[in-house]
Amino acid sequence: MLTDQELDDVYTTACHAMTDLGEAKQPLFLARLTLLLMKEVGDAARIRAAIESARALDKRR
Amino acid sequence: MSAAPRYHEYFEYRRYPLVVPPLDTGVDPVRHRVAIVGGGPIGLTLALGLARHGVRSVVIEADDAVSYGSRAACISRRSLEIFDRLGVAQDVLGEALPWTAGTSYYRDVPVYRLQMPMDEDQRFAPMVNLEQCICEQLLADRAAALPGLVDIRWQTKLAGMKHRDDGVELELETARGAYRLRADWLVACDGARSAVRQALGLRFSGSTYDGTYIIVDVHLKSDYPTERRAWFDPPTNPGSTILVHKQPRDIWRVDYQLRDDEDPEEAVKPENVLPRVRSHLEWIGERDDWTPVWISAYRANCLTLDSYRHGRVLFAGDAAHLVPIFGVRGMNSGIDDTHNLAWKLAWVVQGRSPVGLLDSYSTERVFAACENIRHASKSTEFMAPPSSAFKLMREAALGLATRDPFFATLINPRQSSAITFADSPLNAADSDALPSGPVPGAVLPECPVETAAGARHLTELLGAGYTALCLTGNDPRAALSGLRDLPLTIVWIAPRKASGADAWDATGRLFPLYGAAPAACYLVRPDGHVAGCWREPQADSLRGAVRRALQ
Repeated sequence: MLTDQELDDVYTTACHAMTDLGEAKQPLFLARLTLLLMKEVGDAARIRAAIESARALDKRR
Repeated sequence: MSAAPRYHEYFEYRRYPLVVPPLDTGVDPVRHRVAIVGGGPIGLTLALGLARHGVRSVVIEADDAVSYGSRAACISRRSLEIFDRLGVAQDVLGEALPWTAGTSYYRDVPVYRLQMPMDEDQRFAPMVNLEQCICEQLLADRAAALPGLVDIRWQTKLAGMKHRDDGVELELETARGAYRLRADWLVACDGARSAVRQALGLRFSGSTYDGTYIIVDVHLKSDYPTERRAWFDPPTNPGSTILVHKQPRDIWRVDYQLRDDEDPEEAVKPENVLPRVRSHLEWIGERDDWTPVWISAYRANCLTLDSYRHGRVLFAGDAAHLVPIFGVRGMNSGIDDTHNLAWKLAWVVQGRSPVGLLDSYSTERVFAACENIRHASKSTEFMAPPSSAFKLMREAALGLATRDPFFATLINPRQSSAITFADSPLNAADSDALPSGPVPGAVLPECPVETAAGARHLTELLGAGYTALCLTGNDPRAALSGLRDLPLTIVWIAPRKASGADAWDATGRLFPLYGAAPAACYLVRPDGHVAGCWREPQADSLRGAVRRALQ
């Protein structure tokens, strides 16, 4: 589990990386990041649960 | 940029007369030890700090009264501790509104609960709200009670200056003509647009954020408790971020962020501001009539001078650094500057310490400014996203935080706290690693103690110079009797009531908090930072550490 500080730091790192890339390239960056993190998680059930959680926020609205 | 200036309806401004001293061919015949330019909260706190060490100062202030308009609204616990040492904390607490918590909302859903450190050991609330003008008036009243030590020259403006090896010569303008004033030392406390900084040709380095906030003070009667409330993307102002703080005398501070496509010049006009404030206040259930008191526009800056000492000129507060408002580090970091500087400048003026001691002021407080900017930047990047990427990620984080508290930590506003000087040149070379307690360079965690005169807090035991806090079962004074030549107060704190002890650990919490197992000795600087810590009081170690400030 990430500490608060670690989460904060990697969040900010991602924000800066996306800022440097520019808006047009951000979706592809996020897609790549998603795939890399899928590989790191290495557990299909957990990845499916995360996909559901991400989608649920839009379903609700 | 301002409108509806009505502060005077809620605060009785005292107008101070112009006083020009008897002159000798256009020159103040007194050569002053210390001149302070700027009679705001930083200049006044510094003057009181110098007075506490017996050093007289002259304060040059262009206005005839304390400040006008929306300025600093929050005073931190650390600032209250400093005010306490200057004898103004009780006056401030008599007026201010204490608070410990806050709520952040995404649209209409609470997503983060701010809880600032507060427990039964604390002497002061982590934060109190007070309009800056009231705070300044209390400082000015305190200064007026020290006529031989603080000489405020109201209605006197700095027009120019000469900087020499042994001091400064100021050219001052008044309604009754100009005069010159000489001083050994000058401290610039004259704010963001410092005339002293410009006169010396010094420039800030750092960055400026693009996002603009509108800051509105309104007069509104409401029983809602004092806490920090923040709304991201509220239904009343879609896409914006709104902050609401309660201040004394029924004044409420409302800050909101402008969209990127809004023109700040237009957006600050009352006809554009008031409907947005009205819709939000109504939505959060404030039905009473309210009136605007002040409106201004704000843009976050992360700027600092590279050094706060330039020969005989020192810089403090906004004249030295600009920190984003999010996290309330502006005035609070300036107050900390003055507390670091006051004893050092006093000891140099009194010939007790070499001039080089002032370089440690610069080193420590430039480091503090960089730390403050680092923390405040994080808050700013969340409160006012500097790019579409930060905005997108924030929207994702806020949405997830409505379901999963793991992400709520990203919403923490990271309120101001005291900075630790781990690499200070004033830290002892031979400190022991204690099992717990403040490390060298940190400020003291508060804890109650018992004394013969009744219950006290630890920070109330500190002397005006250095203090050796000796947490031990045995009277340390005989072993430390050879240190009487040093500006050092020995305080003996026993684990339980003991004859001859200055205080004892009646709650049993102090010794564990400070890693005293069974004993510990902390050397504390005049500004409350730890200079060294050892497993037991040792005369040689204490002498070596105090001498770092003396030679």
